[in-house]
Amino acid sequence: MGHWVEVEHTADLSLHVWGDDLVDLFATAARGMFSLVAEAGGEGLGPARRVALTALDVETLLVDWLNELLYLHEVERVVIVEVAFERLTETQLEAEVRGTPVGERLAQIKAVTFHNLVVTSGPDGYEAELVFDV
Amino acid sequence: MVSKQDFERLTDYVWELPKDYDARMQVPARIFGNRKVFDAAFGDRSIEQLVNVAMLPGIVKYAMAMPDMHQGYGFPIGGVAAFDKDEGIISPGGVGYDINCGVRMLASRLEFDEIQPHLGDLTTVLYQTCPSGVGGDGAVQLSHKELARVLETGSNWAKKAGYATDDDLERTESRGQLPQANADAVPDRARERGLPQMGSLGSGNHFLEIDVVDEIYDAEAAEAFGLFKDQVVVQIHCGSRGLGHEVCSQYLRELQDAPRRYGIEIPDRELAAAPFNSREGQRYMAAMAAAANYAFANRQVLAHFVRLAFERVLAGKVDGWQLQQVYDVAHNIAKVEEHDVGGRRRSLVVLRKGATRAFPAGHPDLPEIFRRTGQPVLVPGSMGTASYVLAGEPDSLELSFGSSCHGAGRTMSRRAATRQMRGEQVRSELEREGISVRARSMRGLAEEAPAAYKDVSLVVDSVAGAGIARKVARVHPVGVVKG
Repeated sequence: MGHWVEVEHTADLSLHVWGDDLVDLFATAARGMFSLVAEAGGEGLGPARRVALTALDVETLLVDWLNELLYLHEVERVVIVEVAFERLTETQLEAEVRGTPVGERLAQIKAVTFHNLVVTSGPDGYEAELVFDV
Repeated sequence: MVSKQDFERLTDYVWELPKDYDARMQVPARIFGNRKVFDAAFGDRSIEQLVNVAMLPGIVKYAMAMPDMHQGYGFPIGGVAAFDKDEGIISPGGVGYDINCGVRMLASRLEFDEIQPHLGDLTTVLYQTCPSGVGGDGAVQLSHKELARVLETGSNWAKKAGYATDDDLERTESRGQLPQANADAVPDRARERGLPQMGSLGSGNHFLEIDVVDEIYDAEAAEAFGLFKDQVVVQIHCGSRGLGHEVCSQYLRELQDAPRRYGIEIPDRELAAAPFNSREGQRYMAAMAAAANYAFANRQVLAHFVRLAFERVLAGKVDGWQLQQVYDVAHNIAKVEEHDVGGRRRSLVVLRKGATRAFPAGHPDLPEIFRRTGQPVLVPGSMGTASYVLAGEPDSLELSFGSSCHGAGRTMSRRAATRQMRGEQVRSELEREGISVRARSMRGLAEEAPAAYKDVSLVVDSVAGAGIARKVARVHPVGVVKG
């Protein structure tokens, strides 16, 4: 089961994220990021949004994925609470996501950075350390 | 891990890590600061990040860090690097996501006791007229056509739209318009984010502050800058908002495979780079310049609404409430500048990431009004503490490509700050000191508490000691507006 811990960073925010497999890593990274950004403020789920991405490698795909969710958060003023992957490889992603209205806002993440980003996999699954610019 | 013993002390304020520390370094790395600043630099990973900068192709002289340095991503915050225009690279990670984040200072002709009875009202009206907060809309809604003008002409758009005077432009770095800008280089999604946000502060460490001048160090420069003791001034700290963040994100993504294609070795993916003269390098520069122009216009529009707030609260009650601009500086930016290197005039691309231009007296890029004093360098302290106005000194050109510090610099993480104090507590402490506070987020207040930052005086004394800039005036806050 995926989990994350917050890593100390002087000015920005950072998470170390673990997942059983790639799907779990991507879903957990999204949950971890929103735990920093805002609380869910409503009960109802908004309409489903499709996310389709192609990237050069798995790190770029992870950054693209999280930036895409931040974009939806900003323009639709939602916290993404449900993600369903239809396809996820190291370079391609197709998913349906749903949000709920934003409650208390915690931090404005300007962007997900590539800083020292490496997605690694081993017998226990996948992990990555992310730095968010705030 | 880099240790203190690896550095050589060149003067009381300059520390150098020789190039042979790591075979990949193209140039030495330098830290500006007194012993205390130097020691503090080992508290996080900023030196490691500075060493990475020293590895980038085409870097000239040294990779540098100002005394307010702290850990960033890619470049350290407080980082300065210059690259040869023909042989060097450009990296979006060397400017960062908040393109042309910067500071503007406006000065009234009022003394503090004249506004004291109106201070609460003034802070409230500023809070109401100058939009702030996470993802908030701005004071002005732009059409696509107007946005294209903003991106290509910056403060000149603001002047045509009635938000700026010619004097404001004269007192803005690069007159508020970078010539390399091309609106077509700005991705659609960045434009979409930029349309509703013109004239907004944002959140995080951005702020709007009413300050009082409490110390003048250099009477001649203060007079040229329009500053006097007990005077009421305003500082605006913000940048290019979502538009700038999106430009950086998208170009950084596009450049992820550029190092491979151009055979460039980079130590961190956040420093993905292309040759400055390549198609990709030029396109990023055009988009970055457009976002920088958006930021100049954003601070200009906010200045306009600050002026309206002053008029609304103070007109008819006191004289001298009109605000004249002191200066506007960028502290996250890439500029093409001419510098002397080893006796030769060279065209360089100077990256300042959490660093401020500090050109000295006589520099041809400065307007007539600052030719005898050097340009104003605005150094905001942390919330509730002093800020400084400095003037660029002649040695800055040789030492740091005419660059100085940009603020106090954090020492404590946001999480550590919110663990130690609550926003309400921070606010009541500030109010007890006579500082009026209006904030959208109590958590944000705790994150930005003065205790989470270095002492700005230490930072300023270090750049003064190094000969980069001299102190002209100090101000302290009496009213704070935060997102």
